[in-house]
Amino acid sequence: MSAQAEKISYVGLIKNGIFGENPIFRVALSLCPAVAVTSTVKGGVLMGVGVLFVQTMVNLTVSIFRKFINPRVRIPAYILIIATWVTVTDLSLNAFAHDVYKMIGLYIKLIVAFAIILSRAELFASKNKVTPSFFDGLGMGIGFLLALTFISFFRELVGKGSLFGHAIVSTKPVLIFIMPAGGFFVVGLLMGLFNWIDIKFFGGGGASGGGH
Amino acid sequence: MKDIMKITLNLVVIFVASGVILAVVFANTAPRIAKIKVEEQEKALKLLMPDAASIPKAGDWTTPEGKHAEFFTAKDAQGGDMGYIASTFGKGYSSYIKMLVALNKDMTIKQINVLDHAETPGLGDEIEQAYFQDRFKGKTLEQLEVIKQPDPNKIEAISGATISSRAVTKGIKTGVEMLKERYMSNANEGK
Repeated sequence: MSAQAEKISYVGLIKNGIFGENPIFRVALSLCPAVAVTSTVKGGVLMGVGVLFVQTMVNLTVSIFRKFINPRVRIPAYILIIATWVTVTDLSLNAFAHDVYKMIGLYIKLIVAFAIILSRAELFASKNKVTPSFFDGLGMGIGFLLALTFISFFRELVGKGSLFGHAIVSTKPVLIFIMPAGGFFVVGLLMGLFNWIDIKFFGGGGASGGGH
Repeated sequence: MKDIMKITLNLVVIFVASGVILAVVFANTAPRIAKIKVEEQEKALKLLMPDAASIPKAGDWTTPEGKHAEFFTAKDAQGGDMGYIASTFGKGYSSYIKMLVALNKDMTIKQINVLDHAETPGLGDEIEQAYFQDRFKGKTLEQLEVIKQPDPNKIEAISGATISSRAVTKGIKTGVEMLKERYMSNANEGK
């Protein structure tokens, strides 16, 4: 995969993160956090922004040091790089952009345990040069952000009858959609929709993932 | 053997480098964060007792979890007591929840405020919302009990966040108990 990936363009890398290997709908990674925070659009978008930033920085760092990191201890090294970036972001936002931190602070801390970050570090950044790794991180982050926005849009609208905290629908909402179980329903349905579009209009084979 | 040395050295270098980065960042941010927290607490105190002329610190106390907390007396313009505020902690689902509880002079709850926590976004962080905090208004110590149905004389839990709701209630309860102990006995001694 890596040899092929080096040939494709940077735009292609970003597209790959959004469509080809979308973290949620295609690779099905980081589903637990994706379900946990998407009961509101605000939560989904903020978490997406956090992942976008951390994923890009981790990809960049892992790629820069990929020759130095001994392959036999690469996983602890990656985890440490992720944890360092998350902590640095958390502390800096808290000190220098406190208003932003008040909104996003809760989400930032959770990113340490996201499978998607480690998975891109291992699958892409450790085998590719710095610039492609940067764009891969960017693409994966955008893909994650868009996926979370879709899921949370649907869940807040149906489960709470509101969007961004403003009431939209006055009928009694379907509470199950904001509970974790409903989150998985929504992910499954949207995943199916993505596959359907792919098969129907783009002639793809559809895809399903492992789930972590 | 040579291999293991190489691997060890590799990991040590990475960990030391991260440690140094984190230490530098922490040293530069910690004072600012501490300052912001103090300012936020002052703002929160004023919000809880908007009519008070001043809210001086009255002392320190330790919660059952061993956390350091403070308490304050709200004074009116003449220097008389208007009410009491305590900072307190509750052990939530994924963090210690730091709160302020303001009492009227008759020891009923005037208002509560959640200062700091790291509960689950979307579920536990509902404790920040006014609709939940308003459930504490006017409650006495005996009424601080979490149940799952709406009841004007109890605290109704947030659906999906029972643990966080319980933690807030428990923290508030220990805060109220502490304030009652301090101020009721003081008042008796005064008589």
